[in-house]
Amino acid sequence: MRAAAVRLENVLGTLALGGIMLLPLSEIALRQTLGTGIPGAGPFAHNLTVWVGLLGAAIAAREGKLLTLATGEFLPKGWIGSTAHLIGGLVGSAIAMTFAVGGAAFVESERTAGDIIAVGVPVWVSALVFPVAFGVIALRLVWRASPSSAGRAVAATGLVIGFYLARHPELLEGHALWPWLITILVAGVLGAPIFALLGGIAMVCFFVDGSPPAVPLIKAYEELTSPAANLAAIPLFTFTGFLLAEGHSSTRLLRALKALVGWIPGGTAVAAATLCAFFTLFTGGSGVTILALGGLLFPALIKEGYRERFSIGLLTASGSLGLLFPLSVPLILYGIVAQTSAIGQTVSLEDLFIGGLLPGLLMLGLVALLGVREALRSSTARVPFRAQEAASALWDAKWELLLPAVVLGAMITGVATTSESAALAALYALVVQRFILRDLPTMTDVLRVASDCIALVGGVLLILAVAVGLTNYLVTAQIPDQLIEWTKAHIESRVVFLLCLNLFLLLVGTVMDIFSALVVVVPLIIPLAQAFEVNLIHLGIIFIANLELGYLHPPLGLNLLLASVRFKKPVLEVTWATLPMLGILAIGVLVITYVPWLTLGILDWMGRLETAVP
Amino acid sequence: MSVLKQIGFGAALVALLGAAVMGQTPTTIKLATQAPFNSTWHKALVDMGADWTAKTAGRVKLTVYPGGTQGDEPNTIRQMRVDGLQGNLLMAAGLSQIDESFNAFGMPFFFQSDEETAYVLQKLAPTLEKRLEAKGFHLLCWGSGGWVQLFSKQPLTTLADVKKAKLFTSNGDDRMVQWYKSNGFTPVALAANDIVAQLKTGTIDAAPSPPYPALVLQMFRDAKYMLDVRVGPLLGALVITNTAWNKVAPADRPLLTSSAKAFEKRIMADAPKQDADSVATMKTRGLTVTTLDSKAAAEFRAAAEKLAVTMRGNMVPAEIYDMAVQERDAFRKTKGK
Repeated sequence: MRAAAVRLENVLGTLALGGIMLLPLSEIALRQTLGTGIPGAGPFAHNLTVWVGLLGAAIAAREGKLLTLATGEFLPKGWIGSTAHLIGGLVGSAIAMTFAVGGAAFVESERTAGDIIAVGVPVWVSALVFPVAFGVIALRLVWRASPSSAGRAVAATGLVIGFYLARHPELLEGHALWPWLITILVAGVLGAPIFALLGGIAMVCFFVDGSPPAVPLIKAYEELTSPAANLAAIPLFTFTGFLLAEGHSSTRLLRALKALVGWIPGGTAVAAATLCAFFTLFTGGSGVTILALGGLLFPALIKEGYRERFSIGLLTASGSLGLLFPLSVPLILYGIVAQTSAIGQTVSLEDLFIGGLLPGLLMLGLVALLGVREALRSSTARVPFRAQEAASALWDAKWELLLPAVVLGAMITGVATTSESAALAALYALVVQRFILRDLPTMTDVLRVASDCIALVGGVLLILAVAVGLTNYLVTAQIPDQLIEWTKAHIESRVVFLLCLNLFLLLVGTVMDIFSALVVVVPLIIPLAQAFEVNLIHLGIIFIANLELGYLHPPLGLNLLLASVRFKKPVLEVTWATLPMLGILAIGVLVITYVPWLTLGILDWMGRLETAVP
Repeated sequence: MSVLKQIGFGAALVALLGAAVMGQTPTTIKLATQAPFNSTWHKALVDMGADWTAKTAGRVKLTVYPGGTQGDEPNTIRQMRVDGLQGNLLMAAGLSQIDESFNAFGMPFFFQSDEETAYVLQKLAPTLEKRLEAKGFHLLCWGSGGWVQLFSKQPLTTLADVKKAKLFTSNGDDRMVQWYKSNGFTPVALAANDIVAQLKTGTIDAAPSPPYPALVLQMFRDAKYMLDVRVGPLLGALVITNTAWNKVAPADRPLLTSSAKAFEKRIMADAPKQDADSVATMKTRGLTVTTLDSKAAAEFRAAAEKLAVTMRGNMVPAEIYDMAVQERDAFRKTKGK
């Protein structure tokens, strides 16, 4: 029974992912050949993104993979830890329940109104995934709250509380907000998922304001299906990354890189950093990179005589290096969120890609520099350059190396739009890994990779979905306007504003993963940046560079925790090993922030830079 | 005074105060619109809100969310259905999402002049209002955004040019998209507040818009050509949910309606001048206005008749379509020409 449900979930999620991939591709094919298209291809693909997101979130809840604040890791084991866990589960399930009730109200309202997605398929059918997925998530949070049935019974009261509050939001209307906020924040610190933290705050704010629980769900639906936001790129690029990480791509690429740069002192270190950057680009989460590549690269570095401390530091830091390069998922996400919040100004993805090039190379260069220094200090092996080996290694890795060329080529020639090229990348990776290189020998392997990917993406899209509710509440309460007034009154110069931004983002990056951070913070900062006339492309690069740093920052940096798990070393030791990297990357962030030319120079030279719209 | 008495007295006072406060709880109406921040429409709405509060001595309050900050039209309508928002200044696309009879005002090249539009609207209004009411929305007043023209990155001179251009259409109505496609156009469905950004990225290369938003949103920086063809009048209407309307004390309702009518008068009177002024301003900043030569104009007129017919019974309910045609032709016979 349980196994059947699990399979159904995986299959549905995979089908939805397949749909997001195939609909735009068929659209390209039909457009190029018959000059027609599929009716509703766009709207259906967007609605399937909702399904991938929500089903993925349910799968993530099943696997205990919902993203949480890093604070939970630091609680002592024993009864304190298990009580904290129980409280997190109770509050989390209560909040998931309010979203399930809100989702049901949304479906009901759509059934009455009868809006159509396309070719007669009503919106409510698509919206049905909201109450179902949130209901399942609520149940799973209860289940995972405690190993004992008594504990689960306690956590289950969350379901009742959530249901009751969502059915009677008027109980909160006009009352104090802070007791609720404190409860939710405490639960978040104790390990309730981040979506519950953000979503819970949004819900109680709406209730106190007299709004019904369906509002944040409607906002979530809008964001997930928005053609401009085009969130489908996130699951597609992530799937591409997962497919590559699964096979022997990393081995082939490492060989190619070593053949090319192995003769430089520190060549292997540079190669390892570059490879990590490449993978992070597609998977978006540096965590995935450390987990997927750490096992391959760590022994390779040690074997060539790099010190253990240096190797750990390098790999921990490299996990976040790729985020500034074209097609990086966080960069795309910034573009999406910024475009939604920046009224009257454009934030084009192409400009972001171009803007990120030099800053990305700077960060990579700085880490490489440390690698070279390390190699000169310790006696590491150097591989002499041999043209034959280089050629053969490059040829061996040709399929992987072609991927960026295929994607960018399709985009530049206009065969595919940015969103369609994501589908193209996924298809390319799938065909190469499954049929040409056969790294994934069976379709079952593909399905496994797909459901792993969906669980990660679901965790991210879930946060995005509930965070728009929070952003919308802030708009409704006109808080950004007040924030601008306050900041303008207290901060006069742009330099001080940027400095405050650096510090603030460091803090945010320390406690939140990059996706949640972007979604929550960008809409708040955009109006401020506009007021201080900071270019929004530059702002995006500052954001991501800064958040990269937060990953490495003690005590809560996510990379530190993941590296500690991967390399089986205490967090403190990893932190110590990463300090030199943190220092040099901090310098990089400051340069990126205060030398806008680095981001905007090429854009200016290309004539893509517009003076800001007044 | 004994302690018990004190408590009793206190409780009574609290109850009294509470009752007084409850009785005065103002009805807050959150109103969304796609009209840009600080545009004439936004300002007129804010003024109307101030008028509401003054006339009802604070019993009704209005908060205006301009520029699509509450989402695009389909989304704000959804929020109204669950009482997240109560009011909306909608354009024809949004209105037809609630009831498709409003598509009659979205038929390209169906109307030729303000007088003609006003005449037909006046005849159709009672029917349209009744249909809205049945869907849970109360119409407070009408509005006009001026005449929709075609803004494009490359000059458009023939019907073939227009069909080839990647044309903005309103997000949320796939049937309209399919209608465009089946008639040989190249539509791209987007949210209205996304036009500017997507012109820049090249997702679209032409957008129908009245001149004023094209100016305010700086659409003309990328779409440097305006084809003066008068695609149609941009009809708008100020609607409020029946739920919210019923919460307003019956005595206050006529007060709100009269302010709304004043808003309508202001907007309608402003529209033609606003069109002309906006075009003049944009011309000084690099906009090129083109018109059709007589051959192309004839081509457009012939196509328009055919296009309108394909909407009958499909996009526009047959009886509404027939009514609109009948009234328009009646106007053209008696008063037009």
